[in-house]
Amino acid sequence: MATKPRKRSFGQWATSRDGQKVFVMVAFMTVPLLLLFVFTYLPFAEMFGFSFYNMKYVGARKFVGFKNYIRVFQRDDCFGALKLSLYYMVGSVVQLALSLYLATVLSFKVKGSGIFKGFMFFPFLINGIAIGFIFKFFYTRGFVFDTVLQWCGFQLDNLPYWLRDKGVNNISLVGTSVWRYFGQNMVLFIGAIMSVDGELYEAAMLDGANRFQQFKYIILPSIKTIITLNVILSITGSLSAFEPPYVITSGANGTGTYFVIMHEIAHTQQKVGLASAMAVVLLMIIFAATILQKLFFKYVFKSADDEDLNATAKRDKKLAKMAARKAGR
Amino acid sequence: MKLKKVLALALAATMTLSLVACGGGNADTNTDTPAADTSTDAPADNANDSTDAPAANADDSADAAAPAEGVPSYSQVNVGTDYTDLTATIKWLHHKTDRAEDGTIDAMIADFNKVYPNITVEPEAITDYHEDSLLRLSSGDWGDIMFIPAVDKSELATYFQPLDTLDNMAKEINFADAWQFDGISYGVPYMANAQGVVYNKAVFEAAGVTELPKTPDEFIAALQAIKDNTDAIPLYTNYAAGWTMGAWDAYIGVVSNGDDTYMNQKFAHAADPFKDNGDGTGAYALYKILFDAVANGLIEDDYTTTDWEGCKGMINRGEIGTMVLGSWAFAQMVEAGDHGDDIGYMPFPMSVNGTQYALAGGDFNFAINVNSSDENKTAAMVFIKWMTEESGWCYNEGGYTVDKNGKNPDMYAAFDGCTVLADQPALAGEETMLNDINAESELSFNAGGNTKVQRIVEAAATGSETFDDIMADWTAAWNDAQEELGIEVK
Repeated sequence: MATKPRKRSFGQWATSRDGQKVFVMVAFMTVPLLLLFVFTYLPFAEMFGFSFYNMKYVGARKFVGFKNYIRVFQRDDCFGALKLSLYYMVGSVVQLALSLYLATVLSFKVKGSGIFKGFMFFPFLINGIAIGFIFKFFYTRGFVFDTVLQWCGFQLDNLPYWLRDKGVNNISLVGTSVWRYFGQNMVLFIGAIMSVDGELYEAAMLDGANRFQQFKYIILPSIKTIITLNVILSITGSLSAFEPPYVITSGANGTGTYFVIMHEIAHTQQKVGLASAMAVVLLMIIFAATILQKLFFKYVFKSADDEDLNATAKRDKKLAKMAARKAGR
Repeated sequence: MKLKKVLALALAATMTLSLVACGGGNADTNTDTPAADTSTDAPADNANDSTDAPAANADDSADAAAPAEGVPSYSQVNVGTDYTDLTATIKWLHHKTDRAEDGTIDAMIADFNKVYPNITVEPEAITDYHEDSLLRLSSGDWGDIMFIPAVDKSELATYFQPLDTLDNMAKEINFADAWQFDGISYGVPYMANAQGVVYNKAVFEAAGVTELPKTPDEFIAALQAIKDNTDAIPLYTNYAAGWTMGAWDAYIGVVSNGDDTYMNQKFAHAADPFKDNGDGTGAYALYKILFDAVANGLIEDDYTTTDWEGCKGMINRGEIGTMVLGSWAFAQMVEAGDHGDDIGYMPFPMSVNGTQYALAGGDFNFAINVNSSDENKTAAMVFIKWMTEESGWCYNEGGYTVDKNGKNPDMYAAFDGCTVLADQPALAGEETMLNDINAESELSFNAGGNTKVQRIVEAAATGSETFDDIMADWTAAWNDAQEELGIEVK
């Protein structure tokens, strides 16, 4: 008679090592998952629900279906505001290039590099609201910026009004955000560059590679992950720029970004449903932008993938399959 | 050993899981901040609403129409002669913490006790009055006198002692109708504010403007004279602060058309509220003043970097000619420097059929607890009337007089010739209509609609739009909102 495998009762299973493992896992998971659900997904679901209503913070709600979404696409101010994001995107490219350059320079032996790093990282430590006030005075007619430019020989009459002229005011605002964040990007890049093996430089130098070649063939491929991450964060950030226009110009005079407009609609006009719809639309746009960037970087760094063992294995498999198909024909 | 392994495994599992969880959380924080806002605000606001709910004592409202037995009405009390031998201890709940700290309140009560030595007044100042007063009101534990918080007018009789009929009250004080219901008055404002224009007398003199402008044209001419003859900025817009631009909305009603029912009763129904009347009246003419001033270069050079704190000192030193702000701003401008005597306050330069109108409104109103004993009610009535007629509080605060026979502070000297009115309340059933249409049209008059006024400045400065385009745009937004909300257009 064959012996049946012994079936454990639930009680036995629960006291066994397997059972305990499951219990402990569930118990430990509950708290973070509960926090995540209550403070992130539940509010988001609520907001998603709000976007289908015509409602204020208090008072009755009226279900209006997709009307709020249709309005978001019909209004000039919502998508007009997204055009301003282009300024911030260009700004973020400048910012990344600048910080990558400085990071590379500072990661080689430079006198006083610690001090330079400190000075350039310092703006990131200042509160965003304070930066707003600093730059409000910085750009005021005849104040700091104009005075400095006059030292350089510019005439006050030839200078634009930095915040009044609609041609330059968005560039002025983007300038403040570049000033604030390039130091932070730089520190991240320096960190990544530090992890590159120093012997590689020596070997490259022996082979006669100059600094630029070292940067191009050693540093850039080694830190591509952090570059990708920074680019994605910067582009996402420029879609949701808020602090500089809100504090410096209160979004007036054609500087209202998507977030500022959304804030105005939600809090001054109290059209909570419409503002929620705007938030959902922006989320979709950010999703789309992130996916596009991922695809873009996959394409750009394709050659780098060759060193990846997985990729090689995959390609070999593919080749084998193709060969097999050919043979079968 | 086994236990250790299990522990290590479990720990590793939870850490990985929570890492995943955190990662997910971070990815979303960018976009869902507004959600967090809405979900926390809504319940909180609802909670506030529930404190307004009517309390007990509904039977009191039956005999509320007539002043109760034994308690005199407001007009029956002769301050200084009646009830001087009354003995009572009354509690007074108020929000003027600054005046409690600097001793003003105690000094006034000491003066009161010279005439009424046996009435003890116990003031209690609370900081967060808007919130706390409602809680105290619903709990019933607040003493005998308080400043009326945001309650529904239909509930006034539930909480407060009727002071007098509106007709009698209107003979005694200004702004008697702020807290009236069914012709019964429940409150007396402790001071009042009027809306006009802050200006610098010395600048006007230097510019050769001897008579205060009474119409938009005269005002623009005066600004031009300031520009031509002095170095001062004729009109400082305070564009960057935002809310200072919204201050222009205060003049839409009484000031621009002389009709005290317009703002709360007619504006929401108006078919064409921004049309050009052609005679320098109405909202069109009001905002046209701003447009013309900007278009003619009569404002500050770089309006996007104006500084609210700085402007106080500038007008005090005579670097600014005029600023369009409520009377509350006057005292701040006077205190901002050494030339406080130069600061003046004038009615808004618009005339309707040759008469200048000014909008004024009472501040917080005194009211008496309907559940207090008759002695306390009487003592409270005496105290309120004494505060209004004898204490000089309103005058010292720079307020427009509440007592009909009272004296106005010197700053209102220019208001002598004009008719001072307060906005009439909205009709029954239409209390929220103006709010609704304000929000729906996104113009938000007197409710934070600063961007629409800033737009006028931008248009005038850059020539991007004509004034008539803006007005047509506003009218369209107004009419769309009326249609959306189903408001009857009259």
